[in-house]
Amino acid sequence: MIFLVTYNFDWSVVTDRWRLFVEGAWVDLWVASIGFALACALGLLNALLRTSGLPVFAVPSFLYVQVMRGVPLYVLVLWVYFGVANITGITFTSFQAIIIALALTGSGYTTEIFRAGLGAIDRGQTEAARSIGLSRVRTYGHVILPQAFRIVVPPLGNTFVGLLKGATIMAVIAVPDMVFLANELNVTLFTPFEVFAAVALLLVVMVLFFSAVVYLLERRLRIA
Amino acid sequence: MHVFLTYSYDWSVIPRSLVFFERGLGVTVRITVISVVFSLVLGLVVALVRMMPGPIGLIGFLYVQVFRALSLYVYILFVYFGIAAAFQIDFDPITAGVISLTLLNSAYMAEIYRSAIQAIDPGQREAARSLGLGSISTFSNVTFPQAWRIALPSLVNQFTDIIKDSAIVAVIGTPDLMYQTIERVSFYQRPFEFYTTVAGIYLVMVIIVAQLAARLEKRLGRHLA
Repeated sequence: MIFLVTYNFDWSVVTDRWRLFVEGAWVDLWVASIGFALACALGLLNALLRTSGLPVFAVPSFLYVQVMRGVPLYVLVLWVYFGVANITGITFTSFQAIIIALALTGSGYTTEIFRAGLGAIDRGQTEAARSIGLSRVRTYGHVILPQAFRIVVPPLGNTFVGLLKGATIMAVIAVPDMVFLANELNVTLFTPFEVFAAVALLLVVMVLFFSAVVYLLERRLRIA
Repeated sequence: MHVFLTYSYDWSVIPRSLVFFERGLGVTVRITVISVVFSLVLGLVVALVRMMPGPIGLIGFLYVQVFRALSLYVYILFVYFGIAAAFQIDFDPITAGVISLTLLNSAYMAEIYRSAIQAIDPGQREAARSLGLGSISTFSNVTFPQAWRIALPSLVNQFTDIIKDSAIVAVIGTPDLMYQTIERVSFYQRPFEFYTTVAGIYLVMVIIVAQLAARLEKRLGRHLA
């Protein structure tokens, strides 16, 4: 393909619509947040199953982690949105589909984080709590989890950042996020450089902001 | 909404599409391997730049921060549509895919190299220097061979991410495994069968490479234990 005319940069395409871009970025952010919250819940549950010591639970939980970490998010999104919808007849909205896909992928990572966090707590803590008369549930709630929390927060933060980046793929199933907006503007106005640069900038700003938050949390929570 | 509409599976579409899977897999493997090789080299360069003092080091730092913050999807759209149009470079989809995968992963690899190089006892470098080795030969004969052993398992792990990320190149029409699958889905209207199969193929590739990384880690760590 030969371009006969030189490309005229027209940044007003972006600056006139900055509100739309910010709204699009907001969609990425909240979808990633819900996906992350679900991923944490699934991951904690799965880690407890994994560490339960019962092979009936531990083996499926191990396989689950391998599968969720080994399948590309793009495949998972299409699998949920088209594949699962096709066989069950449940029609997910595109929002639901991306959130489910993010929760599934994310839970593969969060399971391992929780497992490592729970495993890092000295056995003596459990034994001491039990011997002073705390029930099993209370031991977990008051002794183990609060300590594990300090350990899991920084890597969980990194998982969130990963999911936020992954969330941008939602445009392929037409969730109206910032990339979807950029694609639309590109085909109608043909200003690919400006719109995709704007999206890239927004993503970098968001990711660096959350990375900085994770870094600060990590420093605060570090055990002296 | 018809919940649990009785669905009749038809897995026979998979063997009928083998030739497309093969074709796509070839492209996926090629893109992945080329990107891995390029980002191994570029990553080392970035790591060395990043460790330089002053403004040059800052450039390396910014490179790592920016490229790690972007998602491949956004980046590939920017390269394939944005840069191509603005600077009138006519990328073919495979080239655009390789460039994006390489730039993105070189940032991750740079950090792996950097932490490996920094893990080497400074005494090693000081000893080499005081024996009269130049700074280049100290790096290539003393520091790097030791850092390489530390970095290799993580670098191979990064390989698994490149395999997974490579699926995204399908969005710009690169005829990779994912693209071929999407094409077959629209031909046969069998999304569940196809996406499940392709998920399995990616999974197998990732597990093979991850196993390789685990084995390397064991082998290279033998002497350190």
